[in-house]
Amino acid sequence: MGIKVVHRHGNTFKEKMYISAIFSGMKTTLKHFSANLKDASQIPTVCYPDEKPTDITPRYRGVHRLTHRKEDDSIACVACFMCATACPSNCIDIVAIAREDGVDEKMPKVFNIDLLECIFCGYCVEACPCDAIRMDSGIYSVVGETREEFVYDKEKLLSIKGISKEEYSLAK
Amino acid sequence: MNTFLILLPLLLTMLYSLATVPLLVWMERRIAAFIQDRVGPNRCNIGGIRLGGIIQSVADMMKLVFKEEFLPSHIKNKFYYLIAPSIAFVSAFLTFMVIPYADNITVNGQIYYMQALPTELGVLWFLAFAGLGVYGIILGGWASHNKFAILGSMRATAQVISYEVAMGLSLVSMLITYGTIHLNEMVTYQTQSFFLIPAWGVIIQPLATIIFIVTAFAETNRAPFDAAESESEIVAGYHTEYGAMKFGLFFVAEYIAMAASGALIVTIFFGGYQLPYMTTNDLINNFETILWGVIIFAVITSILFLRWMNKNNRFEFSSNGETKIYTTLIIGFTVFTTILMAYYALGFGETHKVGVMILQFVLFTIKLFVLHFVFIWVRWTLPRFRYDQTQKLGWNILLPLSLANIFITAIVVVIGVNYGN
Repeated sequence: MGIKVVHRHGNTFKEKMYISAIFSGMKTTLKHFSANLKDASQIPTVCYPDEKPTDITPRYRGVHRLTHRKEDDSIACVACFMCATACPSNCIDIVAIAREDGVDEKMPKVFNIDLLECIFCGYCVEACPCDAIRMDSGIYSVVGETREEFVYDKEKLLSIKGISKEEYSLAK
Repeated sequence: MNTFLILLPLLLTMLYSLATVPLLVWMERRIAAFIQDRVGPNRCNIGGIRLGGIIQSVADMMKLVFKEEFLPSHIKNKFYYLIAPSIAFVSAFLTFMVIPYADNITVNGQIYYMQALPTELGVLWFLAFAGLGVYGIILGGWASHNKFAILGSMRATAQVISYEVAMGLSLVSMLITYGTIHLNEMVTYQTQSFFLIPAWGVIIQPLATIIFIVTAFAETNRAPFDAAESESEIVAGYHTEYGAMKFGLFFVAEYIAMAASGALIVTIFFGGYQLPYMTTNDLINNFETILWGVIIFAVITSILFLRWMNKNNRFEFSSNGETKIYTTLIIGFTVFTTILMAYYALGFGETHKVGVMILQFVLFTIKLFVLHFVFIWVRWTLPRFRYDQTQKLGWNILLPLSLANIFITAIVVVIGVNYGN
């Protein structure tokens, strides 16, 4: 059995005097103060909205976007309803139609996401078998004046650009 | 001229106590922010002019003034409830009345004191009204009829009896040293020097200085002795039930009390309005030389400040040229004052007495603001004392120390008077 002797602080005369501890504490705070006073640019605070955040990565769950196919730039979504099924807040509304151009069998006629209901959990992205829906747009702030503005339709979702390297759908 | 000289110290009292409050609130918030690696208030502006965030405290004051004055219906003693903030405010304000801002000035054979209340009871007046300020807190907490408020005022009561004794006794040793209770004579005493060291209170009585500064923190209810307010334990302590400007008066009273304590510490321990080694007569006789020194100091300071500002005035709003406006103003002000001072320094003007008085005001203000910085610095460094710890510190440590200090001081003074020279 090993016995660990824990040193108890605060019993020596020097520590009971408080003064030395107080001065070392004040030295620390003064160091921070003078460093920040000398060069305010080293303060890590981001003065939003005058300064925009710089740490938004492709993995950040921003506003959704619909991807395109690499071959012909058409919509990658095949209207399989996997995302709408996975969605815990039922914010995705899809109406499917048959695809006439022979690229695939189905495509969405309507693809609406109500961003006021969306909880940005990312389940739709995980559920998608075609890499057709992504949340890599990097958009963290969505503003509008009416409720209707927050319902993003298919054209709007297709027009959003991503910030990741992969622009097109990676599905084979 | 005579009326002006009588009214000037009153005006300065108003300036030092009331007008510095927004400045102190701003200093408190910006220094706290810098100590904690934050930015602090810097957005509030009038037409893009932010003055580094000072506008924010003006906006806060406006908010407090225009807020609804409500009176909780459960309060039985409305008179005491309403008068409590006024007591705290008025007594904090009155403590400032005896601080000398400059040496006495003699015009046409009549002496004018540069303190708002031309009394010789300086220290006693200060102790009386500084002690009275706590009654506002106690009364407010009791009249609020609220558990947290009464806890806060109980703590204030326990605190006031534990530090006031040590505070008074530490001052007694200073009175023995200086041999006077007149604050202006204390400052005059501190212009002496022994072995080329200025005879400031802090150097001849370091123990009394530490005891007085510690108790001054307790007396102004500031961290680390803000147990009466302790917002992390008892909501807001004594001012839990207060809103709008009634809270504002408590808030302002705390800062005025801090300013007054700082002014007294400067006066008693840090040489007051005087430069070390220089009496007022020395200043008047060597006025030209000193003015040249001030000119060089002012120019170097403003150049350094301009460089610092151009580097650090971050987050400028779009493109209103805020930094450019400041630069123009500072350069203009520096050139103006330099020309004015050079006019006197070259020997054209004859008003040396007034010039020395202004110099002493400036010196006092600089010392005062250094001490305010220390007050704020300590607040954002040290954690709060538990309130039994405050009492233990007051009774077990500070009281015996200050008593021992009185004995030693008295022995030294008696030996010095009888066997010295």
